[in-house]
Amino acid sequence: MALRKAKLKHFGYFILPALFLLVVFVLYPTINTIFLSFVDEEGSLSLSNYKEVFSSRDILDTRGLDRGFPFGSLIHNIMWIAIHLPLTTIVGLSLAVLLRGVRGGGIVKSIIFLGMVMPMIVGGIMIRFMFEESVGVVNLVLQTFGLEAKTWTAYPETALFSLIFGSVWLWTGFSMILYSAGLETIPNTYYEAAQIDGASKAKMLFKITIPLLKPITVVVLTMTLLWELKVFDIVYIATMGGPGGSSNVLALQMYLYGFREWDFGKSAVVAVLITASTLLAAIPMMKSAGDEAE
Amino acid sequence: MKRSRKDTLVKTIVAWTIALVWILPLMGVVMTAIRPFSEVINGWWKLEPFNATLSNFSGALNHQTAPLYKGMINSLIIAIPATIAPLLLATLAGYGVSRYGFPLRKTFILTVVLTLALPQQMIAIPIFRIMSGLGLVDTYFGLILVHTAWGVPWITFFMRNYFKTLPADMEEAARIDGAGDFGIFFRVVLPNAFPAIASASALQLTWVWSDFFLALILLYSPGKLLATQRIPLMRGVYHVDWGLLSAASLMVMIVPILIYILLQRYYVKGMVGWTIK
Amino acid sequence: MKKLLVAVLILISAVLFAGTVSVIGPWSGGEMDAFIPVLEAFKAETGIDYTYQTYRAEDLANVLPAQFSAKKSPADVIFMWSSFITSNTKNILELTDVIDTDAYIPGALDNVTAADGAVYGIAYTAKVKPGFWYRKSFFEANGLTAPETWDEFLTLLEKIRATQGVKNAIASGNGVGWPLSDVTEHFLIAFGGPELQKDLIEGNTSWNSYAVRNAIGKLVYLIEKGYFSEPTEWTTILEQWWNGDYGLYFMGQWITGMVDDPDDLAVFSLPGNRGMVFSIDYAFIPEFAANKTEALELVKFLSGEKGQSIQVSQGGHIATVEVDMSNYPTVDKEIAKLTEGVETLNDLDDSIGGLWQTAFWDQLKLLWVRPERLDDVLMDLEQKMPE
Repeated sequence: MALRKAKLKHFGYFILPALFLLVVFVLYPTINTIFLSFVDEEGSLSLSNYKEVFSSRDILDTRGLDRGFPFGSLIHNIMWIAIHLPLTTIVGLSLAVLLRGVRGGGIVKSIIFLGMVMPMIVGGIMIRFMFEESVGVVNLVLQTFGLEAKTWTAYPETALFSLIFGSVWLWTGFSMILYSAGLETIPNTYYEAAQIDGASKAKMLFKITIPLLKPITVVVLTMTLLWELKVFDIVYIATMGGPGGSSNVLALQMYLYGFREWDFGKSAVVAVLITASTLLAAIPMMKSAGDEAE
Repeated sequence: MKRSRKDTLVKTIVAWTIALVWILPLMGVVMTAIRPFSEVINGWWKLEPFNATLSNFSGALNHQTAPLYKGMINSLIIAIPATIAPLLLATLAGYGVSRYGFPLRKTFILTVVLTLALPQQMIAIPIFRIMSGLGLVDTYFGLILVHTAWGVPWITFFMRNYFKTLPADMEEAARIDGAGDFGIFFRVVLPNAFPAIASASALQLTWVWSDFFLALILLYSPGKLLATQRIPLMRGVYHVDWGLLSAASLMVMIVPILIYILLQRYYVKGMVGWTIK
Repeated sequence: MKKLLVAVLILISAVLFAGTVSVIGPWSGGEMDAFIPVLEAFKAETGIDYTYQTYRAEDLANVLPAQFSAKKSPADVIFMWSSFITSNTKNILELTDVIDTDAYIPGALDNVTAADGAVYGIAYTAKVKPGFWYRKSFFEANGLTAPETWDEFLTLLEKIRATQGVKNAIASGNGVGWPLSDVTEHFLIAFGGPELQKDLIEGNTSWNSYAVRNAIGKLVYLIEKGYFSEPTEWTTILEQWWNGDYGLYFMGQWITGMVDDPDDLAVFSLPGNRGMVFSIDYAFIPEFAANKTEALELVKFLSGEKGQSIQVSQGGHIATVEVDMSNYPTVDKEIAKLTEGVETLNDLDDSIGGLWQTAFWDQLKLLWVRPERLDDVLMDLEQKMPE
């Protein structure tokens, strides 16, 4: 009993500095932002910020149904998720499977992973660069197939898609690396046993590999989803949300409300919206972390 | 057996083709960086004339209005303390949580995990106001503080997971020998935690170096701008062409890439480890 | 005897410690090298020494308020945005009776004049956005001449586009967005008059008004006919225009410092144009300046013919007071001629600033590739105007 108390006495010193920083610079600001979102111009509590933001064309632009982009930053993020998530996950897994046991596979993996290592602001420059009319590599490829070259990020119909596909190039390395590590943990004996039973490659993939990789898939999906909801740097430098808001995303809109228009209330609403989505997305991961806390 | 060798050959060719296609964009940037801009203006794949030059690099480093060399120094001024500090504090906390049971432990852990999902946008405005109130806006210290606070949650969780895999025998033995908590921590635990510390450091250093949003909000003076902030300034505001911009991009990429190359094992383990455990 | 000694001592100290004045300006590198000769000439004339520090306006905006509230100032003469000057008059010396306000071009001091007519800053030299630039050699080689009417302009555009080897008539610059906004403003001013620019800045005219639609309509007409190129990074397209891929490029006068052969440059404004965007450098003296007397001397020098003559002879600047044309280098002379008889105006998006400026740039990038969306664009601009 006395020994236990002695442990606890020092325990405080271990945890206090971290706890202090956490509370002051993370928890308090979070609560404050939520609070700010409910404070209107006169300083009283109301839902006016929410009304303004959710009815704003910056978030949801129904005119898009008639004339095309922009559709509003919320829809843009959703589109980003819809394209980017399945692509990076599937391509990452395929690459991991393909590169297993390949000569020099480590180098190939590193090349693919480079996109993850670079700062995202540089990633945005690379995307801008590759879609540029005269110097972009995408146009080089298109021209060899006889298609027209243009600066894809300058047109409302293609700006967002350029960013999304560019970001697939950047981010696929993440799922590939995680799946690669995961593949190493699957014992060869499983495959050997299946081969003896006459299973085809495809069957082995779907019946052994993918189910066993499920925990990794949860992580890949969650982290990628979080990233898609928070994407900022790339859009800021490649298109600044344009042209005409066609590639606007929630995080950028939050910044514009807060630090260009200086309307903290509306900015807080968008921040809350993003956070609510990320928390929702993170629930599966939190559950498994909670289980480990035992 | 022959079939599997052919399979491997096919796989290798496909893999290397993919790698070559994958690296094309990066190759474009390198080509544009090492050649004078007038040569690549109609496509960097046009190989003649080809005059390799370092002028884009020196031009970007010493640019009149947004010199990159100053930006890189500033980024280091932020990144190194902002790695050491959270690592120290969070390792202490992670160890503490992993070893000692305390009421609300599960809540604490859940809170930490929750913060992993928080976007930086959620704390941006209050942080800006807090820093304004403290007079820390546009200071290195302020930004380092925020990065430290932001790094503490995930590193705590990461280190806690790691320590859970370390058996407590040596610590128990040292305690029986009469060592105090801190003594045990610094002399027994830390040396054994090297792999985890290396991983966490690699990741944290990369993320702080690569940060743009927090710097955008908290740093203004031209002399203090970080490398990541100078790149947007170079694009379209000042007279900077793709040649200079490519060179600048390559140089800003160098630090994280170096970290990745030198600490690859730890870097990857870090990404994989704390997600999979 | 004693009195004489004291007088001599005072005279000697006045000469020895003739004082010094500290200056803060936004220029560094080559631009700073062009400003120093002016300070040198000032020192030669008055014996007052100077120090110069570089500080960008955006950063001064963050630093000065704190300094002022502590009753301090980082320098005696500070170059800064006019909007800052007019919103901080409490901390700034009034200069109405110090400088010769009549010597200025009409409108030059408007931005630093308070509602009661008191002047709180001086206008130094300016950079202007004169119009469409072209290479003399290109025009000569293809038998082209600068237009004097709108119809001649249209004919010119058609001829340029038909020229062999030319991708398009007018190069459109991209980047943050100011290249497109500069040319748009030129159309607004040319067809709506200087009043339109001023009204839009003040918010007195709607973006949906006839005046705006008429002016931008002309621009949209040209875009729809395909005379403007796709927006391309403004430094990239500068090279391409210089190489002959394009005929015309709308740009500010800093273009003269960006090409190999400035003497081959020529420029024309849209026919009928009566106003021009002047980017004037303004300076003020803070209340808390340590060397007020010296600062007043410098300010008189900088707002006078002598000081501005020296600056414009360095090239790349236009004077805001009357100076002899012979002071200008060749290509600047052309620009100065275009400024005769025009009214100085402020840059539209810089004046409104904030979120509207970002939206303006963004919407123009859209208009350039989808001119049919003009209605949506104007509606968005009107909506985002600050109240």
